[in-house]
Amino acid sequence: MTNDSQEKPTAMVFEVLKAAIIDGSAARLGRMALAGRRSVDTPNYLAVASRGVVPHMTPDNVGKYLHSGGVYMALEEVIERPQQYSKRQTPIYDTPTSHGRRPLHSFTAMPSDLMTVLSARRLPAVPSPMGNSNASISIFTSTGYQVLTTKEYQNAVETLRPDIAIPLADLTYGPITPTSKRALRMAERTDEWLKNWFADEDASADGPQQRDVAVFAPVLPVSYSIQWEYLERLSEELSTRIAGLAVYNPDVLLDLLSDYANLATLPRLSVSAVTTPHHILRQISLGFDAFVLPFINLVSDAGIAMTFTFPPSQTTPTLLPLGVDLSSPACKTSLAPLSPNCTCYACTAHHAAYVHHLLGAREMLGWTLLQTHNHTVVAAFFASVRAALAQGEEAFEGAAHQFALRYEPEFPAGTGERPRARGYQFKGEAGGEVKPKLNKPAWGKLDGEGGGLGLTRVRAKKGVAPAVAVAAAAVVVAGELVESDAEGGARLETPPVSDGVADVDAQELNSLPR
Amino acid sequence: MSASSVALTFELVAKCSTTRARASTMTLPHGPVNLPLFMPVATQASLKGLTPEQLENTGCRLCLNNTYHLGLKPGQEVLDAVGGAHKFQGWNHNILTDSGGFQMVSLLKLATVTEEGVRFLSPHDGTPMLLTPEHSISLQNSIGSDIIMQLDDVLVTTSPDKERMREAMLRSVRWLDRCIAAHKNPDRQNLFCIIQGGLDLEMRRECCAEMVARDTPGIAIGGLSGGEAKDDFCRVVGACTQLLPELKPRYVMGIGYPEDLMVCVALGADMFDCVWPTRTARFGNAITKLGVLNLKREMYAADFGPIEDGCGCPCCRPVEEEGSMGITRAFVHHNAAKETVAAHLLTLHNVWYQLNLMREAREAIIEDRFPAFIRTFFAQIYPDRQSYPSWAVDALRTVGVDLIET
Ligand SMILES: [Zn+2]
Ligand SMILES: [Zn+2]
Repeated sequence: MTNDSQEKPTAMVFEVLKAAIIDGSAARLGRMALAGRRSVDTPNYLAVASRGVVPHMTPDNVGKYLHSGGVYMALEEVIERPQQYSKRQTPIYDTPTSHGRRPLHSFTAMPSDLMTVLSARRLPAVPSPMGNSNASISIFTSTGYQVLTTKEYQNAVETLRPDIAIPLADLTYGPITPTSKRALRMAERTDEWLKNWFADEDASADGPQQRDVAVFAPVLPVSYSIQWEYLERLSEELSTRIAGLAVYNPDVLLDLLSDYANLATLPRLSVSAVTTPHHILRQISLGFDAFVLPFINLVSDAGIAMTFTFPPSQTTPTLLPLGVDLSSPACKTSLAPLSPNCTCYACTAHHAAYVHHLLGAREMLGWTLLQTHNHTVVAAFFASVRAALAQGEEAFEGAAHQFALRYEPEFPAGTGERPRARGYQFKGEAGGEVKPKLNKPAWGKLDGEGGGLGLTRVRAKKGVAPAVAVAAAAVVVAGELVESDAEGGARLETPPVSDGVADVDAQELNSLPR
Repeated sequence: MSASSVALTFELVAKCSTTRARASTMTLPHGPVNLPLFMPVATQASLKGLTPEQLENTGCRLCLNNTYHLGLKPGQEVLDAVGGAHKFQGWNHNILTDSGGFQMVSLLKLATVTEEGVRFLSPHDGTPMLLTPEHSISLQNSIGSDIIMQLDDVLVTTSPDKERMREAMLRSVRWLDRCIAAHKNPDRQNLFCIIQGGLDLEMRRECCAEMVARDTPGIAIGGLSGGEAKDDFCRVVGACTQLLPELKPRYVMGIGYPEDLMVCVALGADMFDCVWPTRTARFGNAITKLGVLNLKREMYAADFGPIEDGCGCPCCRPVEEEGSMGITRAFVHHNAAKETVAAHLLTLHNVWYQLNLMREAREAIIEDRFPAFIRTFFAQIYPDRQSYPSWAVDALRTVGVDLIET
């Protein structure tokens, strides 16, 4: 365990080890160092947490098997206010700072060598019908929309002390491009908010000396010409206060660096939610150092094992897939690792046939193993990118070109059922419409006691989750994971098969001893 | 004192001088296990989100797989192609499988039992299927589990039909003979018989005599935990253990509540399994020495203590210790029913609790302080002696421990 209290107030050191010198590439090698954390060689990536956890991975496995630079977390996932307890202090803010651990690390049981990046909203975020105001944004928690003021967010950062914080930006989400009027206001508000952020920090009792949170200034997902005044302030007034840039629009980077050379030494974090390694390579070439990558979790949930390597290992006449669908019958008896030569825990202790079975049986371990594997593949991809960059930009750009030629543009879709749709992430879009469930209802009994014709697919009643399954199933009811499972018939005092999801919980509680 | 069969060695280490509790070591093809023992249930070749590595780190050396489920998925063909369940799930320790019969009868209420076997409709396509003793053993041979169970004719113990109960008991004996004949790997898989006979002690005794005569390497007491009164349950376990040979492991099937485990150990049983500890974890429940806590309750939202004070599991052990995750109740509360990780963490804690309870009971037996151990155990769970369950008090009196008068 590290002792944060011994940390120096300097938040973060970023060193550029090797910058590109050829035309058409701004790729560079670097290193981010934070007191008490594992230093991060760049280019590198950050895993995305959901409610403070890397999905399906317990913190011990995160510590052992996650080789990312750190973990990205969204405040909106940890500050919900259930209606019946709307008056209570948000629990996470009471996290004790025991053993010198930062509260955010402590609350989420994050291994101490991994750095945390806190942002207000998840990536990508659910658009809010309420919109933002001059001093607040609208966030979407598991219990609904909430207003997050600039002040509360800044207090949250001060209280939780992530290693890196991305201050509030006035962002719109969803498919609609903001009008130029709206885009201008985005830039003005973000400018104002960031200016106030540092003014408040200076005014606070501890002063800037106590600053042990590295601030990555947001660069907005709008064109350069619309946000140039804001960027100018970053360059002229705040360049010594900010430790990095969190860039929502990667295409702004080129202009930004040519106009404001003093920002070039800052690390550039891509928060543009790229979806494939092709996008990553392009942005590395543009000069990005680190990436927040939500797609890894999604690919794992889809039952896909990533199989790409950098540079591509084979020369084949056909395009290589970026991953394999482990639900495919071809994996049924395959004792091979999830991808050839992978040395991750899932590939050395287990094999494709087992993960295929776990996905088919809807056993949660399937997704745990896929997460372990896929995060390893992505970490290895970045390590190879760095190795190529160390050889020279030509080596990197050549390999990147080969990669673009050899691999399919997208990940395969994945035919397996998803572990669960985190309900609250899907609600609220387009005026509160709930997206159709991704998963088919599971097996269940058609009738209750005795009668009926055996097992058949249970039709979900309108607005009601599918009935309890004989096969394992996880369904979402009002944003809650309710699970039924294959053990229903085991030797329990609870009835082996129940008639409704809600009943399961009730029976479970009633069946507790005493 | 020890006894050996081809693939199982049973060594009696110590006996409680008051109760009938025993401490022993049973050596199976995949290594030794200490009894008394709780076996977590990895129904479909996976223990609910724990990696086999995490399960191994709890100290578990014998877990269950369910034959019925493995027969459906991945299926016998795949198990044969892969080379058995150990290799399939990457588990290099021992596995016990049930016969599949119980789950057929309980999951598929339409199953009917004939002398030939259990008839049921395939959950895949509704076609009629038949599970015979031979087929069950063949499946378990393909699974390659270290302990396999005979197919038995299971009735709910509360069935009032004495004739049918006797028929089921006698049929279970006949099916054991068919299982023994069908068993292809007695050199590396141990076939256990299952005592039947409902709540009728005479019938149970008759069944014990028949089963013991067949000299299987281990013996199970079956047909219980089907909703019968706890007193009746304890009477059956007590009656059977008295008749069973001392140098063979005794397995009471489907038992997992901590109080039940302690009473059954006192009555002389050695092995137990139950899905409850792992299942209840997924509903946000933590098993602790002070009782079961539902961490979904609001009172835990800002509780920054460990799941259980003093627990040595990787979630709870003090954060400055090696291998500790520093999990708080607040964190589990925050994610319970929302992220699978919360369920994994509670599963890890609950499995640890169950295994540790048995480890501590074993130590107490070896040091001949088991009656005191049991008293402390009940005193921690219940606020006062008046709240002790009467069935436990009565059952323990039969083996010389009085929880009320000390
Ligand atoms: Zn792998
Ligand atoms: Zn614990």
